Amino acid sequence: MAEDREHAIYDVASGEAGGKLMVTRGTGRRVREALGGVLESLPASGVLYVDTRGVELMDYSFADEALGILVSRVAAGEYGDRRVVLVEEDRELLENVEASLRQRDLAMIRAEKPGAKPEIVGEVPEHLLETLQEIQDAGSITNADLAARLGLNHTAMNNRATRLFKLGLIHRHKNTAAPGGRQYSYEGIS
Amino acid sequence: MKTLLQLDIRHRGAMSGVLTLGSLDPAFTAAAEVEGEPVVLDLRSVEFVEPAGLCGLAALLEFLIPRNGEVGLALSGRNVPAYLERMDFFRVFGDRVRTNVDVAALEERRRGNPGTLQELVNFHSEEEIPGIINRISEILEKKEYRLRERAAICATLSEICANAVEHGHSPFGAYAAVQAYQHIVSGGRSSRGEEVIVAIADGGVGVRGTLSRNPKYAEHTASDNDALRHALKMGVSGTGEIGRGGGLAVVGQISTRAGGSLSLRSGAGRISYYGDRTNSRNVPPFPGTFVRVSLPRIAVSRQRSDASEKARS
Repeated sequence: MAEDREHAIYDVASGEAGGKLMVTRGTGRRVREALGGVLESLPASGVLYVDTRGVELMDYSFADEALGILVSRVAAGEYGDRRVVLVEEDRELLENVEASLRQRDLAMIRAEKPGAKPEIVGEVPEHLLETLQEIQDAGSITNADLAARLGLNHTAMNNRATRLFKLGLIHRHKNTAAPGGRQYSYEGIS
Repeated sequence: MKTLLQLDIRHRGAMSGVLTLGSLDPAFTAAAEVEGEPVVLDLRSVEFVEPAGLCGLAALLEFLIPRNGEVGLALSGRNVPAYLERMDFFRVFGDRVRTNVDVAALEERRRGNPGTLQELVNFHSEEEIPGIINRISEILEKKEYRLRERAAICATLSEICANAVEHGHSPFGAYAAVQAYQHIVSGGRSSRGEEVIVAIADGGVGVRGTLSRNPKYAEHTASDNDALRHALKMGVSGTGEIGRGGGLAVVGQISTRAGGSLSLRSGAGRISYYGDRTNSRNVPPFPGTFVRVSLPRIAVSRQRSDASEKARS
């Protein structure tokens, strides 16, 4: 999906205020401002890949300021339906990102490289996890098909997917050509 | 007439001759009674100074100098003056205190100190912290500390330093020092261990003062110890903003994982946090906040790697 969707990759270690050791809220703020600028420059439903693989250490203060606050703003709709993905391996560095997002009851998608299998960092409500997993496995799926797979009525399905969409964890678009009128279809982010 | 301020230095046991933060309590108490008079701090029975004592001494001097004007230090022997010199103590305080030792001669004889990871450093703002962290990380890398060990030490130092300058409103900013010791491992897991001690002191409003700004913590700020215990919890901060108040909790987790401890002292409170238990007691008031983190190093990791090598063979 990374190929066909507008995206940008931001390398934290070599970007604004970057380095191998990312500490303090002040540094986090500068990085977040840089990330916000790139995000705003993307077209609607574009994806910003925040690549922290060159970073050795992020302290909690940095992680919360740079990523926790950025993700909370994405979830608040400040960047429309543009999305943020963390490009990082499964390593200790993730702990502070995880701690910050959990404090905020938020989550973000993580992938080992752009387009790779999506994982979750942070807190996703239990009842939404199955829905998220199903959308990610399907790649792209309509509300009706998703509802059928999960054994839910269309309204319940729509509510769950809308929550995931608002958390910034999936893409969503209106499928006007669908039989029986408009319906949403969903797409995983990776 | 100069008043001699006595310290509380133990003469027996494991802490014999060691300058700790607690050693300085009588001087803080006595200083309040001799405001405006020249004083001399009696360090003659001190045989050993660790980062906690060093940062505490710096905070005490910052407390005394504006109140008493003339402050002297009485030192004896060669080791303590030489250690203070190596830790940049005289570089920071040389012009502001009188001492009975020949500092110039110490500077000439100066030698490297293999365990020093950060000399006594005074800082005032958050912008100075990345520089401090970059420097200590380079030293740790040269000494072949592994990435996770470096990350633990650097994150501990950066979070505590940030707290000191962010919440403190301290007139002198904050002091930090870091030292690695061979063969001294608290908890006695192994005799061949190494322990990294991180200490930071500020002269600000204290933890209770900071948390009291947030009315929702009223029931947790009745005493200094209540405030210290509460401050260790994830998400507890003076501003109450979501996402704040994680730094100290993370430092507690780091020290616990290393098998070490986190000690906090602020106002009349003092707590030590070991992960599974917290000890607290009331102590004479300390005008600011003091943090000491112990991160045992080789003792635990080497035992583990020994065990895994055995398992493989």
